[in-house]
Amino acid sequence: MKNQYVAKLNLIVPSDRIHVYFSLLRHGFMVETRVGCSIKTMLCKALGLDDNYVEDRIKTIFLDAKPVDDISTVCINHGSVLALSGAMPGLAGATLRRGGQLASFRGSISCRSDGKNALSQDGHVFVKLFNVLVKDLGPILLKKGILIKKVQLEDFFRRMPDDFWRDLKSAYLNDQKISLNIWSEIEFSDIMLLIAEPEIRSKKSKR
Amino acid sequence: MDKILRINMGADGGPEVKTEPVGDYAGMGGRGLTSAIVSKEVPPLCHPLGEDNKLVIAPGLLSGSTAAMSGRISVGCKSPLTGGIKEANAGGQPSQMLGRLGYAAIVLEGKPKEKALYKVFINKDGVDIKEDSSLCMLGNYDLVDKMKAEYGEKVHCISIGPAGEMKMSAASIAFTDMEQRPTRHAGRGGVGAVMGAKGVKAIVVDDSGCKTREPADPENFKAANKEFVAGLKKHTISGEGLPAYGTNVMTNVINEAGAYPTKNFQLGQFDGCEKISGETQAELENARGGEGSATHGCHRGCVIRCSGTFYDKDGNYVTKQPEYETVWAHGGNCGIDDLDAIAQIDRLDDDYGLDTIEMGATIAVAMEAGIAEFGDAEAAIKLVKEVGKGTHLGRILGNGAAVTGKVLGVERVPVVKGQAMPAYDPRGIQGIGVTYATSTMGADHTAGYAVASNVVGVGGKTDALSPEGQVELSRNLQIATAAIDATGMCLFIAFPLLDQPETFQALVDVINGFSGASLTADDVTELGKSILKNERDFNAAAGFTKIDDRLPDYFKKEKLPPHDITFQVSDEDLDQVYNF
Repeated sequence: MKNQYVAKLNLIVPSDRIHVYFSLLRHGFMVETRVGCSIKTMLCKALGLDDNYVEDRIKTIFLDAKPVDDISTVCINHGSVLALSGAMPGLAGATLRRGGQLASFRGSISCRSDGKNALSQDGHVFVKLFNVLVKDLGPILLKKGILIKKVQLEDFFRRMPDDFWRDLKSAYLNDQKISLNIWSEIEFSDIMLLIAEPEIRSKKSKR
Repeated sequence: MDKILRINMGADGGPEVKTEPVGDYAGMGGRGLTSAIVSKEVPPLCHPLGEDNKLVIAPGLLSGSTAAMSGRISVGCKSPLTGGIKEANAGGQPSQMLGRLGYAAIVLEGKPKEKALYKVFINKDGVDIKEDSSLCMLGNYDLVDKMKAEYGEKVHCISIGPAGEMKMSAASIAFTDMEQRPTRHAGRGGVGAVMGAKGVKAIVVDDSGCKTREPADPENFKAANKEFVAGLKKHTISGEGLPAYGTNVMTNVINEAGAYPTKNFQLGQFDGCEKISGETQAELENARGGEGSATHGCHRGCVIRCSGTFYDKDGNYVTKQPEYETVWAHGGNCGIDDLDAIAQIDRLDDDYGLDTIEMGATIAVAMEAGIAEFGDAEAAIKLVKEVGKGTHLGRILGNGAAVTGKVLGVERVPVVKGQAMPAYDPRGIQGIGVTYATSTMGADHTAGYAVASNVVGVGGKTDALSPEGQVELSRNLQIATAAIDATGMCLFIAFPLLDQPETFQALVDVINGFSGASLTADDVTELGKSILKNERDFNAAAGFTKIDDRLPDYFKKEKLPPHDITFQVSDEDLDQVYNF
């Protein structure tokens, strides 16, 4: 992806509407990162998460649909899909929890380290964020910008009701201001950098 | 709660009411009491719809007190769906009210000699039973409105819809919620059909003038209850995830694990899952607004509030927030990704009085047979309406997935002991398959739900990452769950118990503070074991053998994508679950 053209779409939205974009994070977005490292390293370095946050809040992790127990030993590869969730309810929720008491219940699908040293290189992974983690991390990641496939972004815009466009404060494509209601005319790149950040209200407008 | 209300529906001259002391059943509640009465008093070989079966409705041990989360109610009988013993439980208001009225249980016995439909009214002054043919084939919603008009705005109802009257094996019993809507159901096993066979359409409860049950040790009880509530509120699942997203928060996660049964258990992942996920559902409900939209309790005293209220796009009430199992059963399992359609079906299920899991599984089987296309929401709605109307096809569907599969010639029928599997594919999560196979109730995810079994002292530590031990864990979970079911506590309390020892201690103190007893971990284990033993013995006498503790054969042969895995637990291992 290094030499690929990536268009930047920057949307300024009311602060109470940021959650509308959370479904994109649940569908999954791309993260450029070093691969061949442990999941924990990737979470802390590429996503910039605090070690305590990873330990305390990210209680359920899937790598390519397989529940992970030890994030320090399981390696992430180029093109992997990494799904992150908080602790989940139910017998199944407890079963899928990493390192949980009931992990043997899903032993046949668990992700384990193969013990080999993976090749460390630049690459990308797809990350999905669910439930409480989207609430925690969504606003931060959206403000930093997420890499997202064109087809996914178009589908997202297509599904949005009219008031989505009315609520937008302003929009920029590659730093050029664009109209708020002609998204279908935007020249998308195959991969887009989407930035959605809350409007900063001036003191005057607060009054 | 020192008395049992027995109503003999088959007595000469009409229903006969008898109130008697709890006697040998003293100290029992919820599932502990329903299973004790059924196993002791119901002939195991009787016909489930016959005069010898009994329907037992029992509040939990702490119901009617101020203990948080204590409003669950159990319903027990011989099941017309499984042919074995059944306990199904629900939230709603009647549990607390019956507790305050002093009833440990209501037992419906016998069978009317003539075809007749009755309503039962219970208040502090006693019990009144009247025949009322005007209630015939009313949906639960209209029925409750009629009962409110007749008995006053403060009453709550235990009722059946047309499915129960038609004695369908998927019929549920409805319990009204805080808003007096019939949204809380003892769904599983066809308990509504047994109530229908007894000729009872509604039990109307009025606890006016009754006091909250007093604890034996008020000071310690109050302090422990406060600590218990604080523990529930501070935990990430019970204090954050469940209130925000409801139980449907599981959809994305189970789908990601490849264990989300899709299109009648053909696939482990559903493409449309995000459209029906708990997160999407909560966002939709919050956007539409309305009283109790995304976060609401199912009974007073609930502090987790994992439920909600579903309104349509114009703000009209449709149903309570459909739960994970319902969204899955009528959604992904039928290839449907439309939350509004799923909510509409949930409303129909509640109104007709049907188990949403059984109905969703049944419609998926019908779809596989070619009666409708997977993904066709309108067709699914029509099929549920056929059940409500009692058409010939509806009569077949209303008797569940096993019957429907036989009639329509479908091999892939996901049932154990005749009861449809819930929303977790046992090939993906094999330990849950052990519980599905061996539970006394038929395929039932809640039978082994007490995830804190090790904390409550059942079983002890097992190596979490060992591939062995699934059988032992399933056994421990089933024992612990049976014990919690007896208290009337919501099973969701298990998560804080698992992670917060001080919250477990608070729960023990709540129970001891209320009862004046000194419950130990060993007592919990023995209580759970004795309940399971009663149930297991009943099933054995009803003709169940180890052959009934098996998943359908195709789970051992058909690989489930994306993991391409079959169910691998051996029959020999399954037979060890009850080895205690």
